[in-house]
Amino acid sequence: MSDSNNQSTHGMMAEFDSVDSLLAAARRIRDAGYTKIDAYTPFAVHGIDDALGIKPTKLPWITLTGGVIGALTALAMQIWMNSINYPYIISGKPYISLPAFIPVAFELTILFASFGSFFGMLALNRLPRFSNPVFTNPRFDLATDDKFFLYVDAKDARYDGEGVARLLGDSGAASVDPVVEDETPTEVPKIFFTLAGVLAMVAIIPVLVVAMMRVTTSSQPRFHVFYDMDFSPAKDAQQVTTLFADGRVMRPDVPGTVIRSEDGFDIDFQTGVDMEALAAMDPARAEHLVRLVAQAPADEAAPADEAAGDQVADAQAAGGASEPVDNTPWLQDNPLEVDAELLATGQEKFNIYCAVCHGVSGRGTGLVHLRAQRIQSPTWVQPSSLHQDILYANNYADGKLFSVITNGIRKMPGYGAQISASDRWAIVAYVRALQLSQNAEESDVPAGQRAAVAQAE
Amino acid sequence: MAIAATTGLDNTVERPGERAPLVLGNTTYHTITESVSSIAEQPPSKLWVLGFLVSASLASMFGLLIAYLIYNGVGVWGNRDPVFWGWPIVNFVFWVGIGHAGTLISAILFLFRQEWRTSINRAAEAMTIFAVVCAGTFPGIHVGRAWLAYWLAPYPSLNLWMWPQFRSPLLWDVFAVSTYGTVSLLFWYMGMVPDLATFRDRSKNKWRRMAYGILALGWCGSSRHWMRYEKAYALLAALAAPLVLSVHTIVSFDFAVSQVPGWHTTIFPPYFVAGAIFSGFAMVLTLMIPSRSIFKLEHLITVRHLENMCKIILATGSIVGLAYGTEFFIAWYGQVPAEQFAFINRAFGPYWWAYWTMITCNVISPQLFWFKRMRTDPVLIFIVTIFVNIGMWFERFVIVITSLSRDYLPSAWGYFSPTWVDWGMLIGSFGLFFTLFMLFCRFMPIINMAETKATLAHQLRHASHHVTEH
Repeated sequence: MSDSNNQSTHGMMAEFDSVDSLLAAARRIRDAGYTKIDAYTPFAVHGIDDALGIKPTKLPWITLTGGVIGALTALAMQIWMNSINYPYIISGKPYISLPAFIPVAFELTILFASFGSFFGMLALNRLPRFSNPVFTNPRFDLATDDKFFLYVDAKDARYDGEGVARLLGDSGAASVDPVVEDETPTEVPKIFFTLAGVLAMVAIIPVLVVAMMRVTTSSQPRFHVFYDMDFSPAKDAQQVTTLFADGRVMRPDVPGTVIRSEDGFDIDFQTGVDMEALAAMDPARAEHLVRLVAQAPADEAAPADEAAGDQVADAQAAGGASEPVDNTPWLQDNPLEVDAELLATGQEKFNIYCAVCHGVSGRGTGLVHLRAQRIQSPTWVQPSSLHQDILYANNYADGKLFSVITNGIRKMPGYGAQISASDRWAIVAYVRALQLSQNAEESDVPAGQRAAVAQAE
Repeated sequence: MAIAATTGLDNTVERPGERAPLVLGNTTYHTITESVSSIAEQPPSKLWVLGFLVSASLASMFGLLIAYLIYNGVGVWGNRDPVFWGWPIVNFVFWVGIGHAGTLISAILFLFRQEWRTSINRAAEAMTIFAVVCAGTFPGIHVGRAWLAYWLAPYPSLNLWMWPQFRSPLLWDVFAVSTYGTVSLLFWYMGMVPDLATFRDRSKNKWRRMAYGILALGWCGSSRHWMRYEKAYALLAALAAPLVLSVHTIVSFDFAVSQVPGWHTTIFPPYFVAGAIFSGFAMVLTLMIPSRSIFKLEHLITVRHLENMCKIILATGSIVGLAYGTEFFIAWYGQVPAEQFAFINRAFGPYWWAYWTMITCNVISPQLFWFKRMRTDPVLIFIVTIFVNIGMWFERFVIVITSLSRDYLPSAWGYFSPTWVDWGMLIGSFGLFFTLFMLFCRFMPIINMAETKATLAHQLRHASHHVTEH
């Protein structure tokens, strides 16, 4: 501020050949009362901080803050994601299992603290800074090689160009030069903008294509970048193949195949149909069913038995006034003896296989249904409630219920392959008990157990 | 000058009361700049071009094999029931292990004020990053549907409506390896900033000056900057030191937290960390011994540096040997039949050849370093480090393959055979590693010039003290 010819100069820069001469000069300049001084060196010079009076940095606090934020972020993220938003029970651990959350918390603590020290250092040093007046002197290129520079800023209260230059010269400087304003253009060359523009245009093309495909309709199948198991190489039931001379995918059972069910072979028991009555009514259909069920092992009988199930399903799906009469002679009663043991088995199997959709109470509100509702699945159909008039025993034969469990109906898949025939009959018995339980009067409960029911309520 | 006295001096000799010089010859600040910068400034040598072409071809093969794998599915590997982890995971653990030496040299040796680290830390850090790149590739493609690898990240998914499972070691691994890669990259880059400024200031070409100028972030060597920079460096070192130890600990959890016999042991974390340091130092030496002679850096990476690293290899190799012995002892002492069988099977089962290769390379070969003559002969050190690299790959092979191939149920036993894709990917990953390393040697300061100059300044001050004392 004192000299008129330092309008365009930022300060005075002196060059030294060795660490020792730099340190000596720095002490001398500081002793002369200058405070806005700095040194530029090719490596961190030991002792320069004292010589220049540089105060310690607050960088460690930034690092500590980073670390604390990292630890809290990691813990909050894990607890919220795995214990609150979507609670997982893993290996019987509590929802908030801190010991298992330590590794990620540790890693994020280190990561954020490292970001704190790296970016904190850059910020405190005001880097990156590509245009700096100190770079104007070509000699200054040696500051990163083997020369040492001492700088007195023009903003220093005691600064006067001549005097500072003389003092620096007397302190053993090899040369002293004023630092002038950087006159070189600081704009980024145009080619960078051109290149960036072209790159941005190219990069936006795939995004636009995706966006366009999402908002328009197409008669073509969805475009698959990755197949993601959407297509199975296995053939579907009604497809054509070249593997066999008859071109059919579905193969007849090998002649001589025998049933291997523990239930023994009882065609009525396996199908829920009174086969003798059916044979009298419709011999062709009875023969077809018997052949399909008898020749396949019982566990694999279900697919073959679809014919019966499909007809039932069709009959029900049609519904309304035009409903075709289901004249299949279903078994009216459960062929097994219904006792507490059978009901217990039925309850167990029902809760395993049926309750996930139909709900434990059979009202069609199982967990799968609740989740489908929560994610608003567009293709989900609510499972039927088992407590409808048309499903009660007087409207719906046990054999028909058995057939539905075996072969499925509408969107419900068949369970014939998964549940043995006797367990399916146990489920039929349990479903009847469940239906009764929803419409029971107090008088229906045996006298001896009324007290227990009252207590349960 | 005082340093002239150190010319031709054997700096592996310990003289009581005297600090052995770490920079040899008639070295000045300027010659350090000159010898390191000239590597990147001269046109590449024929040897470099040849080496680069070979590595880059192998790296391209790796890329093509990955494309082949993604197109066809993981069935192209030898991973079959019951060994579903196979070579990809062996390679992953191998490369992560290699990646430990860099940050260890930079961070832990820095904290212990081991000044000899200065001339090797840069290349070791670079090696770390390239090894982590190779390591990260394998789990990424091992997930099967590699295009869904982003499912590993905890992001709000509209398809899944759920989050990653944070109690799984495999997820810890994702965080550990990615944190390690990021922090190592920061540490490496930050260490290079002053040297990139040197490259910038020496550049004659405008574009070169601009490229290095951007990378150097406008570094001017201000003392205030240096003060904060050194503080940041020390803080990063202090943060990276426990990080290094945590990474292989967590990798070992991938195994130790499971119930597979031969994996379910508490010794794994320290044993894996020791093995990682062991293999990492071996790889540093494998890279540095040819580099120092090709780039004429013997006065900066001296025999003393090599010797010190050999001592660490001897120590960690012996720890690894002790761990192998302890595993057997605990298997016997623990009296769990499945565990006992797992270890007998390792040594004498169908994979006996892998086990004894591992023992020979990892436990026996480093014992040569008890002898000083062996520790100071670069050719011999190079050969031993190759053995250690091979041995440490086999260690991971033994752990992953033998344990999985013999599970609890004899009906589920199997024998793993690699396919040509497995072989190609192992070789290709080396190609990627060497390609990156050779690019680094060509374009980046391979020795930390600023720190080496500081070491020289330190040495000069001590030398001048001695001159005045005598």
